[in-house]
Amino acid sequence: MNIDFDVKGLNFYYPGGHHSLKNINLQVYKHSITALIGPSGCGKTTLLRCFNRMHDLYPGNRYDGEILFEGRNILTQGVDLISLRSRIGMVFQKPTPFPMTIFDNIAYGLKLRGVKKRGLLSEKVEHALIQAALWNEVKDKLHQSAYALSGGQQQRLVIARALAVEPEAILFDEPTSALDPISTAKIEELVEELKKDVTILIVTHNLQQAARVSEWTGFLMLGELVEFEKTEQMFTSPREKLTEDYITGRFG
Amino acid sequence: MKFKYSPMDWVFKVVTAAAALTIVVIFAGILFVLIRESKPAIQAFGVFKFIFSTDWDPVKESFGAATNLFGTLVTTFLSLLLAMPVAIGIAIFLTEIAPSFLKGPFGVAIEMLAAIPSIIYGMWGLFTLSPLMGNHIEPWLQNTIGKLPLIGILFQGTPMGVDLLTASLILSIMVIPFTASIARDAFQLTPAIVKESAYAMGATKWEVVKNVVLPYSKLGVFGGAVLSLGRALGETMAVAFVLGNNHQITKSLFDAAATITVTLANEFTEASGRIYLSSLFYIALLLFVLSFVLLTAAKLLLFKTGKQENPR
Amino acid sequence: MSERTRKIESALALVLSTLAALVGLFWLVFILGDVIMKGASAITPSLFLHNPTPEGVEGGGLKNAFVGQGLITLFATLFGVPIGLLGGTFLAEYAGHGKVTRMISALSDIMISVPTMVVGTFIYAVMVKPLGHFSGWAGSVALAVVMVPVVLRTTENMLRLVPWTLREAAFALGAPKYKVITQVVYRGAITGIFTGVLLSIARVAGETAPLLFTSFSNNFFSTDMKGPVASLTVTIFQYAMGPYDDWHQQAWAAALVITLFILAITIVGRIFIKLRYGNK
Repeated sequence: MNIDFDVKGLNFYYPGGHHSLKNINLQVYKHSITALIGPSGCGKTTLLRCFNRMHDLYPGNRYDGEILFEGRNILTQGVDLISLRSRIGMVFQKPTPFPMTIFDNIAYGLKLRGVKKRGLLSEKVEHALIQAALWNEVKDKLHQSAYALSGGQQQRLVIARALAVEPEAILFDEPTSALDPISTAKIEELVEELKKDVTILIVTHNLQQAARVSEWTGFLMLGELVEFEKTEQMFTSPREKLTEDYITGRFG
Repeated sequence: MKFKYSPMDWVFKVVTAAAALTIVVIFAGILFVLIRESKPAIQAFGVFKFIFSTDWDPVKESFGAATNLFGTLVTTFLSLLLAMPVAIGIAIFLTEIAPSFLKGPFGVAIEMLAAIPSIIYGMWGLFTLSPLMGNHIEPWLQNTIGKLPLIGILFQGTPMGVDLLTASLILSIMVIPFTASIARDAFQLTPAIVKESAYAMGATKWEVVKNVVLPYSKLGVFGGAVLSLGRALGETMAVAFVLGNNHQITKSLFDAAATITVTLANEFTEASGRIYLSSLFYIALLLFVLSFVLLTAAKLLLFKTGKQENPR
Repeated sequence: MSERTRKIESALALVLSTLAALVGLFWLVFILGDVIMKGASAITPSLFLHNPTPEGVEGGGLKNAFVGQGLITLFATLFGVPIGLLGGTFLAEYAGHGKVTRMISALSDIMISVPTMVVGTFIYAVMVKPLGHFSGWAGSVALAVVMVPVVLRTTENMLRLVPWTLREAAFALGAPKYKVITQVVYRGAITGIFTGVLLSIARVAGETAPLLFTSFSNNFFSTDMKGPVASLTVTIFQYAMGPYDDWHQQAWAAALVITLFILAITIVGRIFIKLRYGNK
């Protein structure tokens, strides 16, 4: 199997020197789904946000170590964040439609990349919406505001928006935490469907979700990667006592 | 235990209620008194005739508001036109660019600009800005954009520095801090997560501002603009020195003019004759109504954005 | 658009925004610097100790205007602050969030920005015209009218910041409502209210338009509030428009004093707020 991201000795510090990721090592395989679990404050979201360098938006954050993507360390100074981020999509805890129409939301990333032809845009928007299983629900109202959609639809819209630029990977940060069970089921189904095209990293506080959708799981606690294993393995016979305590619900 | 109702409670409540109602009384009082005092002029000149008449002749006792309205509207709109880009730039600087150690001091600086009394702006305008405009900036404008077709008309005549352009520039400096602080508040309402998701798609900082922050806050920024319009409309002292109080409607920004407030400041205490004084009250009434309408509109817009103006 | 052009465009926009910020700063430095330079050289002891000399005669000072300004502002504060304070109390403590409250709050916000010149004409019509002469009282009332909505809105906002549990605790001890408000709630909001009062004084101390036809001006020293009283701002207006260099000098000096006074109050108010409520 091909490795997509190779994390080697990653440390991360918030301003004031708070050491919130400690010597993380893991491999994310191409076109697989990797889940990151752990109690709140364990660093799972912090780790996820290293993959597209979101931490760079705020001053005082510091990385140490490597994340190799296509053999290059993306944590070095010289990396072009704009092009890095246009190749690695991200979906957040809450739906984040932009204040524009449904069509323009999906086309946004393409327009940033300079796609101008109306025909090509329409084609790609349709394709992304079909991929995100939203096409049938919105095809008649593409030019209405994205805010008119329900929460679950908005989240699929955001996924379609990420898909439209054909990224190599998508980072999901607790994508269903603000959704009802039915919308959650749809998103999970969608995530599984997507792995044939993209590599997926998903942070979740819902253990069943991790067990249902992922092939690999990393368990973090207090900024350390306690265990990284095939999901099946981890949920049936974890190596570490801590992991077992956590997944059997003894804390967290 | 017996519950005792204190009569002081009742007294305190009534006193505070009366104090709160003072606002309503003052508002109604201003409206009523201005209408009462304007009555002779309203009867003499009507409403539409007064508004559209360019007469302002104390000798013949023939008055109209058109020249005053012209000066007021031109300086107000021009000042906003000059202030808006700067104010929005400042708001972008404060929310998206400035490192955190600069945000505080710079915010204070802008607040100080807002705190300087308008009489100081006016006096500075008269002694410092006006000669600068008349001797250097206006001749330069005349030789550059003044040569262009169409808009060249706006820059005709002898640049004296006491004119519509100078007055508008001073007014714009006064309006910048208000507009900037409201725009900043509106910008800050954009959820961080939505901005992050634009960055996560590889948008540049400017693209995030242009495509996410500005559309998100346009109602608030617009409300701030209308509020500034309302303030600029009623400003007196900043323009009183440098507008020239000349009752005329002109094409050139290098001409002197009069606003409602400037006319009042210069002529009120010298007005002889019932109709003259009543006409002055009449233009004050027009100003009051105009600014009330604008300020109410601004209030509604800002209310819609869920953010109220900070009282100072 | 290529990525390169996008980045250039972004950098350009950010440079322009920074320039805008510098433009704002430029005006502040320009105006303040000018006032300080021209004002400082004209400040002399006699400015504060002497009254104006007859027109055209060199020398003299603005003692009458300093004292007059102080008197007018003092009485404006005495009239305006209690009304604003009590009105704000009613809105925050008794009226809840109903329609009437919102209407009065909104009306106050609008009155804060209503042209002060209009207030001047209003007071002229009700206090000067009927009596036939200008008076210091009319000036104070005009400034008080400008002050009331400012104090009212700050008080309302500051009282609303006081946690509800504090009131409940006082009620639980059996205190009647007016005592809860005056002894507990006011104490919890005192810094904010005080700052609001300070800022409202700063606001009216620089006002000229409401005084032009109310307290008018007076070339002589007078503390008789029943007659015309000199104020710094109106004097600045007259002197700056006047033909004598000497007058201009004194106008700059007066401008410097009043600007420093107002900026000092504004900064002190800001520090209070920062100490009490953090950065907001």
